[in-house]
Amino acid sequence: MKIALVGNQNSGKTTLFNRLTGLNQKVGNWAGVTIEKKSGTLKGSQHEIVDTPGVYSLNAYTLEEQVTHSFIESNECEMIINIVDATSIERGLYLTTQLLEHNKKVVVALNMADIAAKRGTEIDCEKLSNSLGVSVVKISAYKNIGMKELLMAIENAEIRSEQFIDCIREAKDNEEVAVIRYDFIEKIVEESIKVKKTITITEKIDKVILNRWLALPIFAVIMFLVYFLSVGIVGGLTVDLVGGLFESAGAGLSNWLISIGASGWTVSLLVDGILAGVGAVLAFVPQLIILFLLITLLETTGYMSRIAFTFDILFKKLGLSGKSLIPFIIGIGCSVPAIMSTRTIENKDERIRTVVMTPFVPCSAKLPIIALFSGFFFGNNAGLVSASLYFFSIIVIIISALLMKKFVFKNSSGTFISELPDYKMPSFSYVLKEVWDKVFAFIKKAGTIILLSSVVIWFLLSFSIKFEYGVDIQDSMLALIGKGLSWLFYPMLGTFSWEATVSAIQGLVAKEQVVSSMAIIAGLGSDMTEGILGSGVFAFFTSASAYAFMVFNLFSSPCFGAIAAMKKELGSTRKLLLAVTFQTTLALILSYIVYGVGLLIGG
Amino acid sequence: MLISVNIQLTQDFRFDIMLIKVNIGEFMNIVHLSDLKKGQRAKVVSLYNDNAELKQRLLDMGIAKGVVIKVKKTAPFGDPVNIELRGYQLCLRKKDLSQIDIEVIE
Repeated sequence: MKIALVGNQNSGKTTLFNRLTGLNQKVGNWAGVTIEKKSGTLKGSQHEIVDTPGVYSLNAYTLEEQVTHSFIESNECEMIINIVDATSIERGLYLTTQLLEHNKKVVVALNMADIAAKRGTEIDCEKLSNSLGVSVVKISAYKNIGMKELLMAIENAEIRSEQFIDCIREAKDNEEVAVIRYDFIEKIVEESIKVKKTITITEKIDKVILNRWLALPIFAVIMFLVYFLSVGIVGGLTVDLVGGLFESAGAGLSNWLISIGASGWTVSLLVDGILAGVGAVLAFVPQLIILFLLITLLETTGYMSRIAFTFDILFKKLGLSGKSLIPFIIGIGCSVPAIMSTRTIENKDERIRTVVMTPFVPCSAKLPIIALFSGFFFGNNAGLVSASLYFFSIIVIIISALLMKKFVFKNSSGTFISELPDYKMPSFSYVLKEVWDKVFAFIKKAGTIILLSSVVIWFLLSFSIKFEYGVDIQDSMLALIGKGLSWLFYPMLGTFSWEATVSAIQGLVAKEQVVSSMAIIAGLGSDMTEGILGSGVFAFFTSASAYAFMVFNLFSSPCFGAIAAMKKELGSTRKLLLAVTFQTTLALILSYIVYGVGLLIGG
Repeated sequence: MLISVNIQLTQDFRFDIMLIKVNIGEFMNIVHLSDLKKGQRAKVVSLYNDNAELKQRLLDMGIAKGVVIKVKKTAPFGDPVNIELRGYQLCLRKKDLSQIDIEVIE
């Protein structure tokens, strides 16, 4: 039997889904975390549970509503677990009244019943169950309360047979239907629920967080902390530490391989190819742990919704929504989930603009590039320079938003519809799992795509076009490819460098691959004791071209993963091509300008 | 007990008077949800929005004729507005609130 898990956004569907199936799905404390349906098997049974995106109704206006609606309508779905937030029952039951009309078995799960009880809300499940005609169970998915009762209700669920609310048939328009539904709900809520008015902790916290004078400083401090701890000094220290470990591992491996008599190309493939390429990326793991930990905390506590609420007025002026800020912040970690999270933006134009601009945020994979160049060229000012790139990306987002508003989407007026959820203490185990998942995905990428690309790069670098091994890298296949395209990069580098050219292009595979590729080229082509940028092949870099090169990598087309996510959200290949062309052209122009300005100030 | 009944009656009476005022005064006395100040409560009289999709969304979120809405706070920089209805918190832009007609309760 297939069971659909249906409920409002932010009602705890995903938490319940994880409880019931044992899977670990993404949980957040802002509306719209689940964007596609996911399924898993109900623990201890054969039933399949399908987690659907959160919806407020089945009117099929939004994408999420369409996904949910068509699944419930299908013959596949035999039963519905309707999850209702016990702290806002009245609104939640609106969807329930619609679900009851689908001739499917329904069980209503009142989630967060513990929080509602703590606030003094008394819910009479039996009365509610009688009025609705289906079983109603109090649960707390987060605290694992009421699961046994819910499972029993699932086994004994029945289809409500009679027509649900009679007079709906006589309603003359949608508005009247909504009024009838809500009138019915008001009546049964009055009979079965007693609410006590209390000032919640959330209201007290909001007095500070959403205070006119404090909102902006608090946001600035939080974002600075995220930066300082992950990208800034603390994160930088961890990278140096792990990077050093890989370096000595490389030297050790090389010595050992030579001592056992391995052939020259084996040593080269393992040390200069694989270890250099993969190690350059893995050095960033501790930094990513910190970054993902902080972003997960922002997501689960409920602060994200406040940020959207606070900054909507500014984003409106840019033709965006306050909710655009959520993908931008998640984008500091990774563009892929960030692009997917744009689904919660109501207006289609605002959503498309946000999708196109999300990759402008320096994601964690771009960190290796930023760290490498700013560390080498700007010494004591490295922190300042890498911070400046974040501000650069903010300015570019503002300017391109204004450009798009003026030229591409002229007459659209957006809306902002957002719930303000209560603050929640994040669950320790969930946060750990979430961080582990993201970091593991990164490590997996290093072990698969980056490893493979590293081998390919090593191969293309070690062999000539006639497949002779051991040629000078100037005569390698990769050099040939790079030389053909290096004119594009001349205006930002001040020289023709096929090495930098091929590395930048590999940013398409994954942004961290840029650094991997540079490490392999430097290792094969020259002495690397002074680091990647100290080696002969990259000695041409000046601070001006270094900054310009960073700018190009920051704003050019994102990696394949993000491109796939963009295609899904934009909906057409044509729009995707337009977006990627826009991004790459902008990146080229900006990097040329940066280099020119850099030369003028004498960098 | 008696006192509470009394209050109930006066409130209903006040509603009637306001309704009459709105009818007589035609457009002059129509108040929009965007005019409501922090802490004030009002009852929705009608909502009109040329955007059918948006109107349906607002209906689905519980903003239907007769619902009582309280303004909790405005965003730190003046817009959107945080309103409370049906026991939950919703945020909407003033522009959209201005297309909802209300009668003020208190």
